[in-house]
Amino acid sequence: MHKSLKKYFPVFVMPVLAAFTVSFLAPFAMGVYLSFTRFKTVDSSEWVGFENYISIFTQDETFLYSLWLTVRFTVVSIITVNVLAFAVALLLTRKLKGINFFRTVFFMPNLIGGIVLGHIWSLIINGILGFYGVDITYDPSYGFWGLVVQMNWQMIGYMMIIYIAGLQNIPEQINEAAAIDGASPVRKLFSITLPMVMPSVTICTFLTLTNSFKLFDQNLALNGKNAETSLLALDIYKTFYDHTGLRLAEWHGIGQAKAVVFFLLVAVIAFVQLRVTGRKEVEH
Amino acid sequence: MAAIEFRNVIKRFDNGKVTVIPDLSLEIKDKEFIVLVGPSGCGKSTTLRMIAGLEDITEGELYIDNKRVNNVAPKDRDIAMVFQSYALYPHMNVYKNMAFALKLRKVPKKEIDKKVRWAASILDIEPYLDRKPRALSGGQRQRVALGRAMVRNPKVFLLDEPLSNLDAKLRTEMRSQITMLHKRLQTTFVYVTHDQTEAMTMADRIAVMDKGVIRQFDTPQKLYAEPADMFVAGFIGSPRMNFIECEIKRRNDYLTAEFAGNSLRIPSAKTKALEAYENRTVILGIRPEDISAYSGGMNMQESCVITANADIAEMTGGEVNVYFTLENSRCIARIRTERKITSGDKIKLLLDCNMAHFFDKETTKAIGRI
Repeated sequence: MHKSLKKYFPVFVMPVLAAFTVSFLAPFAMGVYLSFTRFKTVDSSEWVGFENYISIFTQDETFLYSLWLTVRFTVVSIITVNVLAFAVALLLTRKLKGINFFRTVFFMPNLIGGIVLGHIWSLIINGILGFYGVDITYDPSYGFWGLVVQMNWQMIGYMMIIYIAGLQNIPEQINEAAAIDGASPVRKLFSITLPMVMPSVTICTFLTLTNSFKLFDQNLALNGKNAETSLLALDIYKTFYDHTGLRLAEWHGIGQAKAVVFFLLVAVIAFVQLRVTGRKEVEH
Repeated sequence: MAAIEFRNVIKRFDNGKVTVIPDLSLEIKDKEFIVLVGPSGCGKSTTLRMIAGLEDITEGELYIDNKRVNNVAPKDRDIAMVFQSYALYPHMNVYKNMAFALKLRKVPKKEIDKKVRWAASILDIEPYLDRKPRALSGGQRQRVALGRAMVRNPKVFLLDEPLSNLDAKLRTEMRSQITMLHKRLQTTFVYVTHDQTEAMTMADRIAVMDKGVIRQFDTPQKLYAEPADMFVAGFIGSPRMNFIECEIKRRNDYLTAEFAGNSLRIPSAKTKALEAYENRTVILGIRPEDISAYSGGMNMQESCVITANADIAEMTGGEVNVYFTLENSRCIARIRTERKITSGDKIKLLLDCNMAHFFDKETTKAIGRI
């Protein structure tokens, strides 16, 4: 058994490894390389060392602004999405009529594509703001909260499903023991329920964090034209495609360097978050 | 320390469509150790959960310590419960598990510490106070669950099949530990189990339940010696009581029970009740331990010798369980014998007439309970 596994190991692994190399590893390595160059196309690159990385912080004013905006947006989204999703999950794990219908309804926004969602919310928000004679670009805070509302609307249903699974995993007898011990509903929530759904909290925080940090299409569709409400992913896109003329190769290099920094940030933050929340998980 | 009383309690599930407890009246005395025993689905756990307040009472009244508790929340009933799965909080260590209820009641820290350490020392779990439940064995978890109940010093201890997840050796150990705990704490204990050995060894009184009805509520000795009906007779005792159809006949001045060509003389104490059954079919019940190997020279007025084929013979150590067939009934005898009995042997067995039970074939009720 072990011998034949060894013998056929390459047969099973090679196709996946080849596909992974061609579609992920090679472009990723190429991307990292290009971040150290100025280029118009992949074939015409000129090595500039760390110049692009320095330029991100010296020449380009939008990067740090977008980064700070993204951080604020991510923090607000993580809190609102998870608190609301958990609250909805708590409601929908009670023995109420029509629970399956509500679960489906809450999950449905997640089935709509980001661009479509962005345009729908752009129509709704601008429709409301129209009564006051302004639109979403009038004030950056409108755009910011518009993004938050849209993110919540889309993500709550998905996170709710994960929280429902977590809540249903708590043995009924634990809840009964808490009731006999004298825990009030609020105390039970914080002392028993929350610690016991920590695996769900870990995965939901991770998903909200990475999805918020990487948000692009909804941002583009909702308020993409406004530089003041461009999140990091959209800012990188704009660095690439909104510049023309002689310095095109330089902006391409800077955009590529931003993308590498962006990747490192997401990876480090997600890793730290997984370690922090993962430590609080318990085995049932 | 409290008495518990069920007054005509009815429990229905599924919006009244399924009746689990049709009409339950039961009085449990203060400081008593009561065991609710019965097969799966007989309503024993539901009864316990009604005492705990984890199940609503559909109709009737429940009193704890002379106070009507139908609408009192579990936390306000002053009860503690030990669950089958232990229900320990997995994210808290043993100390915190035991201290949780006291902390919620705002008991001073010093007193909590004293109580937790007192319970831990009785249950021998002091070395594990810092451990999380997953780092404990089944027996240790069980003791923590008991400790969590003990520190509360409740009026009533409720135990829902607390030993069923333990292996046989540990179960025996914990059985005696729980009995000792009851003696020490002097509190009312209500214990649910489907294991009649647990019930017999631990209880002051046992309520045998079937389909939501209490068939008999009595001391272990009485249940064994004077079962009220065939259900109780079959449920209490291991191996279960043998049931053989027989006909009551008059022979001069005494009655006999006739079956498969055998005649068993009915003891005078039971004659009066059985006179009404003359020439009728009744069920003879005899426990496996009241059948012995016949070696001749016995008082045949008090015994009956039957000949049977040993279908299966199981050696259990000091005794042999012999399975045989009588009047289409599968019977078993638990015999102490020097002689080796093997399957297929023809054996002579001695039935002790004084230990025979008789049941009405129609109602299954015991005839002539002394």
